Amino acid sequence: MRKILLAFMTTLAAVVSLFGYRTSTPHPVSVATSTVAAAGSGGTTTTDGGTTAATPAAPSTGAASSTVTGDVVQTRWGPVQVRITVASGKVTAASAVQVPSGNGRDAEINGYAVPVLDQETVSAQSASIDAVSGATVTSDGYVTSLQSALDAAGL
Amino acid sequence: MTTTTAPRLQGAPRRPAPSTPGWWRSSTKDALAVSLLLVTVLWAVPHGVADLGGGASAALTSLGRLTGLVASDLLLVQVLLMARVPAIERAWGQDELARLHRLVGFGSFTLMLAHIGLVGLGYAGADGRGYAGVLGELWSETWDLAGMLLAVAGMLCLVMVVVTSVRKARAKLRYESWHLLHLYAYLGVGLALPHQLWTGADFLANPLATAYWWTAWAGTAACVVVFRLGLPLYRTLRHRLVVSAVVPEAPGVWSVHLSGRHLEELPARAGQFLQFRFLDGPGASRSHPYSLSAAPTSTLLRITVKDLGDGSRQVAWLRPGTRVLVEGPYGRMTAERRQGRKVLLLGAGIGITPLRALAEELPQGPGDVVVVHRVRSLDEAVFRGELEHLEQTRGLRAVLVPGPRASDDSWAPVGSGTDGAAALRALVPDVADRDVFVCGPDPWMDAALSAARQAGVPADRLHAERFTW
Repeated sequence: MRKILLAFMTTLAAVVSLFGYRTSTPHPVSVATSTVAAAGSGGTTTTDGGTTAATPAAPSTGAASSTVTGDVVQTRWGPVQVRITVASGKVTAASAVQVPSGNGRDAEINGYAVPVLDQETVSAQSASIDAVSGATVTSDGYVTSLQSALDAAGL
Repeated sequence: MTTTTAPRLQGAPRRPAPSTPGWWRSSTKDALAVSLLLVTVLWAVPHGVADLGGGASAALTSLGRLTGLVASDLLLVQVLLMARVPAIERAWGQDELARLHRLVGFGSFTLMLAHIGLVGLGYAGADGRGYAGVLGELWSETWDLAGMLLAVAGMLCLVMVVVTSVRKARAKLRYESWHLLHLYAYLGVGLALPHQLWTGADFLANPLATAYWWTAWAGTAACVVVFRLGLPLYRTLRHRLVVSAVVPEAPGVWSVHLSGRHLEELPARAGQFLQFRFLDGPGASRSHPYSLSAAPTSTLLRITVKDLGDGSRQVAWLRPGTRVLVEGPYGRMTAERRQGRKVLLLGAGIGITPLRALAEELPQGPGDVVVVHRVRSLDEAVFRGELEHLEQTRGLRAVLVPGPRASDDSWAPVGSGTDGAAALRALVPDVADRDVFVCGPDPWMDAALSAARQAGVPADRLHAERFTW
């Protein structure tokens, strides 16, 4: 009986310490939605589009930069939505507002894929960017949403 | 040899035992088929099948998901099979359920290993590690993906449970040790859940999937709590069984009379067994399965126990008034299985106990019920007096066949020839027209069942349960 009690307490202690590990509790998965490149100088006007269709206000021109948010694109893993920052007719930054993060595996993939796509957008100045291998679903959604943002910004 | 007259088991007439409809058995099979089908559809329709054509890595991952989902479904099924759900118990009987549990458990375990291998390969391929990097991939998944460390711990629990249940290992372990280790299966199953929720893609993929999986998990957990813990606790408190007498029946054999309240509510029948824990000091935590040795009444249950060296000797020293914890009744070797009027009750040694209870409960005219009791020596012939009493009052025919077994594959004693079927026909000429209930040690039961089959008893009229698995 004492041995059983000892085994029970040991098991309990082991399970409690397992639940202390960082992946062992439900937590909101932080997804990299960092904005690549510096924001334009001067005032920043934010004009968000609708959530289902890009209906942005006309981007302001001049030294001030503005942000335009693209359509929400439903992929089979979840919604993807891209926001770009435009200054002087150039895309100075891109970031993903939404990417699939329903599970840890998606978060892991998108954690490295999204910064790559953001960077490619600023370099290409268009939606002709390469898909990130291993994240083709997110890449496809990203390109579609990006194109709608570029269209809305008149680029 | 001790001869006692049939005990006066008095009490209010019991309610007729509830009947078990035949469709219960087929509907449990159907439920299993539907659940497996649903799991497959919930995997296939959103993207499971589409992914199979999405390149090697996606196909491996997708197959890995399917094996994981089916493994998980079967994991719940095998917990449910052992959850003592009354409808399932009565439709299948515990010995058959234990064999199914073993089969489903090994199946689930194999699929779980396939799941780990396939998903590991699929992820390794997608991450550009190449398939050779599968071990590195599994290693980093364990530490980085949500709920995966818990899942790995759960897997280790299940590995231990399976390893200790392989026949060779099982034979080396005491039943009690094996049973305690087996309880880690519950922990293993529980630890597998978080990674399905947080890392899995299918569990919460759509409302139907979410509804199915949560119902399956919650329903299984509820069955375990209600039927393995709640119902035994309720019955123990409701009936307040206490030892009322310990009666020696033969050298090394004692009957224990248990009295209690409201026993007419206990759905126990002759031929069934219950799990007993006698609260008389050390060893009380061990539960023992004992068959009822007399038809139960509204105030009294009787069991009869032979000293087999596994703690059963303890009963000789039980004092009247000792409290008893009870689980059950279990087993389906009851009068309900009888298909015709004529019955043969074929027992060996202490295996006579459930047959003695059946002999009393079965409605019968003269000659309808025959009891054949094989014993090594007349010392072992327990209930001889009681069976004689039933012969006089009920028209039962009881035959005692003493002597050591003729050979390992014979049910009959030396001197009865080498043909088991012929020996059976010599004693009971119309054996082929009878339902045959068999109870005794395992090897003897094998011989007895095969003799009965050869003597022309159809398989669906042969009734036996085993308690060694």
